[in-house]
Amino acid sequence: MQTSANLQLQLTLNSVLISEFYPLLQRGVWLPVTTGCSVMNLLNSQLGIAEVYVQDRITTLFLDGKAIDELTSAYIEDGSTLALSTAMPGLVGSTMRRGGHLAAMRGEITCHPSQAVATGAGTVKIKLFNMLMKEIGPLLLERGIFLSGAELITLLTAGGASLRNGCDSVILDGFPLPCAELFEQLPTRVNPQQMMLLKVIWQG
Amino acid sequence: MDKILRINMGASGGPSQSIEKAGEFTALGGRATTSMIVAKEVPPDCHPLGAENKLVIAPGMLSGTTGAMSGRISVGCKSPLTGGIKESNAGGQPAQVMARLGYAAIIIEGKPATDDLYKIHIDKDKVTISVDNSLKLMDNYPLIEKLRKEHGDNAAYMSIGSAGERKMAAASIACTDPELRPSRHCGRGGVGAVMGAKQVKAIIFDDKGCQQRPPKDPDGFKAANRAYVEGIRKHAVSGEGLPAYGTNILTNVLNEAGGYPTRNFKTGFFEGGTNISGETQAELEVKRGGLATHGCHRGCVIQCSGVYNDKDGKFLTKQPEYETVWSHGGHCGIDDLDTIAMLDYLDDNIGVDTIEMGVAIGVAMDGGVIEFGDGEGAIRLVRDEVGKGTPLGRILGNGAAMTGKAFAVERVPVVKGQAIPAYDPRTVQGIGVTYATSTMGADHTAGYAVATNILKVGGDVDPLKPEGQVELSRNLQIATTAIDSTGMCLFIAFPILDQPETFDALLGMLGAFYGTKMTGDDVIALGKKVLNMEREFNKKAGFGAEDDRLPRFFKTEPLPPHNITFAVKDEELDELYNWG
Repeated sequence: MQTSANLQLQLTLNSVLISEFYPLLQRGVWLPVTTGCSVMNLLNSQLGIAEVYVQDRITTLFLDGKAIDELTSAYIEDGSTLALSTAMPGLVGSTMRRGGHLAAMRGEITCHPSQAVATGAGTVKIKLFNMLMKEIGPLLLERGIFLSGAELITLLTAGGASLRNGCDSVILDGFPLPCAELFEQLPTRVNPQQMMLLKVIWQG
Repeated sequence: MDKILRINMGASGGPSQSIEKAGEFTALGGRATTSMIVAKEVPPDCHPLGAENKLVIAPGMLSGTTGAMSGRISVGCKSPLTGGIKESNAGGQPAQVMARLGYAAIIIEGKPATDDLYKIHIDKDKVTISVDNSLKLMDNYPLIEKLRKEHGDNAAYMSIGSAGERKMAAASIACTDPELRPSRHCGRGGVGAVMGAKQVKAIIFDDKGCQQRPPKDPDGFKAANRAYVEGIRKHAVSGEGLPAYGTNILTNVLNEAGGYPTRNFKTGFFEGGTNISGETQAELEVKRGGLATHGCHRGCVIQCSGVYNDKDGKFLTKQPEYETVWSHGGHCGIDDLDTIAMLDYLDDNIGVDTIEMGVAIGVAMDGGVIEFGDGEGAIRLVRDEVGKGTPLGRILGNGAAMTGKAFAVERVPVVKGQAIPAYDPRTVQGIGVTYATSTMGADHTAGYAVATNILKVGGDVDPLKPEGQVELSRNLQIATTAIDSTGMCLFIAFPILDQPETFDALLGMLGAFYGTKMTGDDVIALGKKVLNMEREFNKKAGFGAEDDRLPRFFKTEPLPPHNITFAVKDEELDELYNWG
């Protein structure tokens, strides 16, 4: 998977604007990471999410569509998709819960312990659902996410005036740029096919 | 709740009424009351729309008290959709008001000799049954507006729309919410058609002059209620996830698990899922000046509902539930929330079950009536066909099974004639066991996650063994039947499942209210008793082991992306009711 970007963009945004990223966070964002590690290693050691938060708060996880019960024996490969959620309602919500009493009811889609895979630079797609979008989303965006120019255009266009007004500064490939210029010149500044690294600094 | 109101719509000279002592039903409620009365009084082989069927309405054990989450109302009858026994419940205000009026149940029986349409008004002094043919073929929203002008805003209303009058097997009974919108529905199984067959358009409950029901031990009740509310509020599901996003919080997770039935159960992943997720829905509701957090009845502390406004900021419908968003959304290949919200409104207005209606439309799409993803077409089918009672509308309004036959569709997702809801049983095989064996037909709430690990229903289960699927489902169905019998909202399941002290608080509330000590064993015994009665009714109605099956395509068609089939054997399903 791609581990470098053609263009780097850094935005300084008001922290309330995290909600503008919710559609993107639900669909999933690509992160440059060291792959070949356990899910717990990725979340705790690499992404800096406290272990107690992972244990208590992220109670529903899927690795490539399979429900995870054991955080230390499920391994991240280059190109994996990891979806994270808090506890879910309903019978099926409970069934999906990590290590839950009803886990047997979804045995066919349970992620079974695997052998450790080779470590190396790679990317992982992380999807955030419900409360985790607000709680972990800022952290991932601070760290930097890969996205296509088309995704960036969609994000900034959908965010409209609120994103534009809440943007304090823009740095494009190391050079400061007036915020208005970025929004006004999006089609000329960003190629939809181009892969970008977006970082967000949060204010307030 | 010491009395039962019996109304004979077929009495000579016009409907008659009588009051009976509640007897054994004084300290019961919900599904226990409705199923016991139906099992005792309705001939299992009767025609569901005939005079011998009865419509039984019961509040919960703690309805009409200050107890939180106690506002579910149950409706029971022989189902015109499944042909078996049916209990369908809803939120809204009627349970609280009916209980304060002192009724443990209302039994509506017989059938009028004329084609007059009736309304029933109940206050603390009398019951008035009157002809009102001006209400004929009115749908729920305009109907309630009209009734409010006559009966006021302090009443609670139960009503049927045009689908109920037309006796469609997907017809629901609407219950008004605190804002007097007919937005909460006893949806499943065609209970609205039975009310229509009795020619009762509306029941108006007015509790003016009535007090909250007093507990035997007020201090004990107050303390237990406080602990119970604290337990609900501190839990991540009932105190956080549901209030923030409603039940539609499940869309993303089911989709990620590959268990989100898409385009009539062809795949388990919908590419448009995030466009209609609870997270997206909540953001949109707030942006438009609606509400992402709202209670369906007074006394609700979870507040899992909401208010969905249209693009102009005007009320369109209540927050569509997960199952509704799925049935009209992913199941039909539609990823537009405004289209789904409009369909939810139309369903509520016409008075049809949103699950049955959405699944029927998806089946019709599979049969070539319209294309998958055709939102405008789906609206037209509900509004102009079902809503106007055209021949096509009557096919759709009689549910997915009827629609499948009419359009020669092989893949028809029903059990006992009732549409399978929003969780593919190939991905979550345990829920497939419940779909197959429930006395109610396919029903996602029949085997809810209710405290089985605490109650140890039927002993401990090894969740790692495949045969645990049947045992888990059995335990869940017993426990759920018991909770349904208390008339409490099922969403209390999670604080109860995870927090033993919250379960104890619930038992404490029941004990303090009725002056008896209730144990977990009592709860389980009640669940088994009710299930046995329902099972016996269904046997006498003609159901056998062959009806406790999923449609064959679940066994033969692998579901992408995991490519799995339903693997629980028939003989294992047949073991479900062997609990000794």
